[in-house]
Amino acid sequence: MKRREFLECAALIVGGMSAAQTGLALTQEQKVYLASAPDYISRAANLFSVEQRFLIDNFCEIIIPQTDTPGAIRAGVPKFIELMVAEWLNDEERSIFLTGLESIPVYTAKEFGKGITDLSQAEMLEILESLEDAASNDPWYGFGNMEGAFGEKHKSPFICQLKELTIWGFFTSEVGSKQVLRYNPMPMEFKGDIPLEDEDSAWAGKML
Amino acid sequence: MLNRTTEYDAIVVGSGVSGGWAAKELTEKGLKVLILERGVELQHGIDYLGEHAPDWKIPFNGKPNREVETEDYPIQSKNYAFSEATKHFYNNDRKNPYIRHDEKPFDWFRADVVGGRSLLWGRQVYRLSKQDFEANEVENIEIPWPVTYDEIAPWYSYVEKYVGVSGQAEGLKQLPDSEFLPPMEMYALEKTVKQRLAEKEPKIPMTIGRVAILTKNHNGRAACHYCGPCQRGCSTGSYFSSHSSTLPAARATGNLTLRANSVVEELVYDKDTGRVSEVRVIDAQTGERLSFSAKIFFMCASTIGTAQVLLNSKSESFPDGLANSSGTLGKYLMDHMLTGGGIGVFLDDMDSYHYGNRPNGIYIPRFRNLDGQDEDADFIRGYGYQGSALRLGWISKINEKGFGAKLKETLRKPGINVFAISGFLECLPQASNRVTVDPTRLDRFGIPQVSVKFDWSENEYKMQADVNTQADRIMKAAGAVYIINQESEHMTDNPVGGSGIHEMGTARMGDDPATSVLNKHNQAHDVANLFITDGSFMTSSSCVNPSLTYMAFTARACDYAVKQLAAGKI
Repeated sequence: MKRREFLECAALIVGGMSAAQTGLALTQEQKVYLASAPDYISRAANLFSVEQRFLIDNFCEIIIPQTDTPGAIRAGVPKFIELMVAEWLNDEERSIFLTGLESIPVYTAKEFGKGITDLSQAEMLEILESLEDAASNDPWYGFGNMEGAFGEKHKSPFICQLKELTIWGFFTSEVGSKQVLRYNPMPMEFKGDIPLEDEDSAWAGKML
Repeated sequence: MLNRTTEYDAIVVGSGVSGGWAAKELTEKGLKVLILERGVELQHGIDYLGEHAPDWKIPFNGKPNREVETEDYPIQSKNYAFSEATKHFYNNDRKNPYIRHDEKPFDWFRADVVGGRSLLWGRQVYRLSKQDFEANEVENIEIPWPVTYDEIAPWYSYVEKYVGVSGQAEGLKQLPDSEFLPPMEMYALEKTVKQRLAEKEPKIPMTIGRVAILTKNHNGRAACHYCGPCQRGCSTGSYFSSHSSTLPAARATGNLTLRANSVVEELVYDKDTGRVSEVRVIDAQTGERLSFSAKIFFMCASTIGTAQVLLNSKSESFPDGLANSSGTLGKYLMDHMLTGGGIGVFLDDMDSYHYGNRPNGIYIPRFRNLDGQDEDADFIRGYGYQGSALRLGWISKINEKGFGAKLKETLRKPGINVFAISGFLECLPQASNRVTVDPTRLDRFGIPQVSVKFDWSENEYKMQADVNTQADRIMKAAGAVYIINQESEHMTDNPVGGSGIHEMGTARMGDDPATSVLNKHNQAHDVANLFITDGSFMTSSSCVNPSLTYMAFTARACDYAVKQLAAGKI
């Protein structure tokens, strides 16, 4: 039995008395143990078309490719992006993202004279690089900018949104945290000064 | 319909840091105690819903839930600790509004659960110094403290031994040592900075943060397991909260009753006895109106909450609010201005890293105006810096240009080494910084809402400039190769009052009943059975984090109150 399940059982046993006495505080709906909840990306997503999914799969894998460790697709990043665009981006941001995505087939036809499924990886990369070149003056790229692509004051273009969602989704994923970064949720001790080897990854955990 | 219930020996309003301490002390001394807490019930461990949740389990993988934040938590979500993993601890701003003034804004951060902000506090604990207690008198600012450092020092020791404070003894007169558990280790870069400061700026000391987190097992609570985000709650009780410490101790006596969902409307004053006779309560869930009586009453509802209750407790004897014959109740609201500082980029210690997540930083104690006024300082009092070394990770590199394996490699590795400090400034008491109640604007319980007006004084603004100047001096001495001074940003974008979450002072203590609400024992001058031991009693703010001081004064007040009861004086 996992610790969290144990605690939930303990809550029911101990809670028998205290629940009756005090009325349990949080409603059932509120009472979600995040540690034992399904992964965020396990939710159903139904925003993108087949064509759009094809592009997102390819783009995010180009941004964070499989190397000797897994890349964005293995980490579930395409699903993360689709969910975030559907339910986290506001209308203005979503419109920027979808307009950006919809412009790709048009651009492809014009520049390469073919459909998106016929693009080579090099051409896909070329598309992303040209988008980044065109956006290079956006404040998103500014040194020390912590506001990100979805700030209250400034909305960044599609390419910045795409990169931010890809990188965020990747390094907060289970695969990215455990297989690319180093994940240790229960260190039990703290050492402030240990050797860092050249190939060592940073610790996972965005809070830290 | 008023439902009257059993008499208790003592009623404590609030279950946060102060209320938990009051309950522990009073029950252990044999009193039957009722805690009234307006927040919902919350059980230790069981209700820490976000504890140990990995990023991929949290909604939006940890990106803020903007819709909920905007609609329900516009104030609370400004707090660093607010997230989908902690929001169930916080007050819903939409349901529980207060009157905020754009020209004198104040952000009121509130918990809405049993345990209050003891669940969410930063856990930094520092003693006020002799100089802090003497400053008002020496500089002729407002009124003198009625308590000396020597009087409160044994009570600091008393609470520290129970709480468990990790830290390093330094023998500094401006920052008296606590009763310490072993200190947490500094990062390599912090050790480097400390050594360079000792060589080049020997008057600027630096120590590891003093923190109410256990570095070894203590009083039946487990040592920290260094998972990181304490604010999600800690089922091993490794940081001090009412839930991990004082409430279980109070329950163990068999003398505690805790009633959640209990919104205190007013305290009722009996002019025949000259005492508070009962407290009127509205059940937040059922709307039922209740009344409870006791021999003594401890207000531990936070400085704004306590002021609200007392200002709403009007009677023939106290038309301007209970225990307010001085007219000072609700005035002299203080906070700490958290502002300025600097970030230095370092090339040192790039081959060093850490294991575990240290829930603590470093502390640079006040070093300005220590032995009288510094000649180059155009302000009085001082400030401390809190900070940390930090190896910047992928979040700070999210906007790198490029694609592919090279980008992935850059992002996965520890990044540049920075050392960042930010100022915690003492705030002077001003009568115009004030809490009032507005009978024309009622909350969902029909209780007049609280209105808060706050502005920093000239002294804080002058100090703010110095915080940046001195941070620059520190970063240079420490050997930073690049310094990001926060001056420009912070000078134009001043922190809003309340954002230090150290609000205090609305029922200050003093020897003169004409200018203060409380005497030196946290007892109301006007009403012998009324004690206030949350931050309300603070006569000045010092520049150090205040919770430890609330604990020490609460324990001391309980000791006094019980002795007075026994002697038949209350």
